[in-house]
Amino acid sequence: MSSYTVRSWVTIGLFGALWGAVEIVLGSYLHLILPPQADTFLAGVLLGAIGVAVALTGRHFVPNRGSVFFIGVVTALLKLLSPGGVTIGPIVAILAEGTLMEATLWIARTPRLWTFMVSGALTVAWNLPHKFVMMRLLFGKGFTEVFNKMVKDGSQALGLDVSAAWLILGILLLVRLIVGAIGGWIAWKLGSAVARRLGLQNLFAS
Amino acid sequence: MEIGQRGGASAGVTEPVRELSPWGYLLFAIWAALATVLVEGRWLAAPLLLELGFGLVWGRDGLRILRRPRFWIFILSAAVVGPFLIGDPDVTLGPFHLSREGLAAGLEMAGRASTLTLAFRLGPAALSLSDVVAVFDHLGLRGLGFATALAMNLLGTLREMAAMTWQTIWLRGGMRRPLVALRLFLITTIANTLRYGDEAVNAATVRGFDLDVGRPSALPLRRADLWLAVELAGCGLLLLVLHLLPDTSV
Repeated sequence: MSSYTVRSWVTIGLFGALWGAVEIVLGSYLHLILPPQADTFLAGVLLGAIGVAVALTGRHFVPNRGSVFFIGVVTALLKLLSPGGVTIGPIVAILAEGTLMEATLWIARTPRLWTFMVSGALTVAWNLPHKFVMMRLLFGKGFTEVFNKMVKDGSQALGLDVSAAWLILGILLLVRLIVGAIGGWIAWKLGSAVARRLGLQNLFAS
Repeated sequence: MEIGQRGGASAGVTEPVRELSPWGYLLFAIWAALATVLVEGRWLAAPLLLELGFGLVWGRDGLRILRRPRFWIFILSAAVVGPFLIGDPDVTLGPFHLSREGLAAGLEMAGRASTLTLAFRLGPAALSLSDVVAVFDHLGLRGLGFATALAMNLLGTLREMAAMTWQTIWLRGGMRRPLVALRLFLITTIANTLRYGDEAVNAATVRGFDLDVGRPSALPLRRADLWLAVELAGCGLLLLVLHLLPDTSV
């Protein structure tokens, strides 16, 4: 923490505000116009990818360890403090995304294009188990029973094998991994482009 | 952390008994979340009733969620699916074959979800921006509090900057090439935000602001926090004894 200067915290605040603005404005709008079922399949993926792009771009300007996590914390707090945005699900999702991005960058150690892409992919992929984790947390062990029964009954009604549910989950996960990787790629390019525009030295120039 | 010293009531002025500090709200949220996770079945009604009582006294805003149809749809859906999907059907109600075991499980799911949602609404969500900054300050994370306050104050400016950038690109015919327009929009918005950051850093430097210097702002415990802590400890103990009683009596 001692390596963080006032400028580092200001930049973390700026990128937290950018991600927060997207979550509050676009998030509220998407949750209003889309049915709740679309939260997992569309709104969450889109917001996750934009969040990845914003937070990882922030890493270009605050290369300190932990900066992406702190950007996530600031975003979650903005969501918490925003009127009408006080729901536990998105706040936990933002914190988990910040943690995942930071963990991936920490493991990779040296920032590279591929680390940004892997970080983005894993972060947006979290969007899929997030719904189940939150439901399990909120509803308790009864949720697991309901979920298993719904998968069985649903596959019977559609005339599909239960393993088809795993295939569908696999496809949903793959889509998230691809979208997240694109988010990471955008962050890498965007950070370099902004640094060039401002005449700053690009810390991650490869 | 002094009790009722700095930031407390002035001499001769009675401190309102009902006022909690941010520590009180956080303590209640942690207690309610723990109680919800630890107890099962009908005992979930105890933390739920306590939350309603807490909400009536200290956080009426947090109880506003009870007026929202979306909340009730979310909660009741758990209670409704239970009798259909959990356990073996043992009751016939018209064309439906329902399970009593499923109804109990569904009600428990609904109770758990509403208790956890209310705990969050009445706890962390009840804090103001200055409360959050002061809590971080006390936890030794002054920088994070500073960043949060800056971000909160920047939100309006950021929206204006983004709208202006978008309109400029649009008026200059940038929309004929949407991808280039989007790239320009993102680069300009982020660059402008960082320039705004330079102004914030300069202003902080001119004022001699240093994150490592100075004492944390006062955030004393209030009398109501202590009463709350005692009540929660008592309720927790009672709940534990009552919850464990059938097991120990066997």
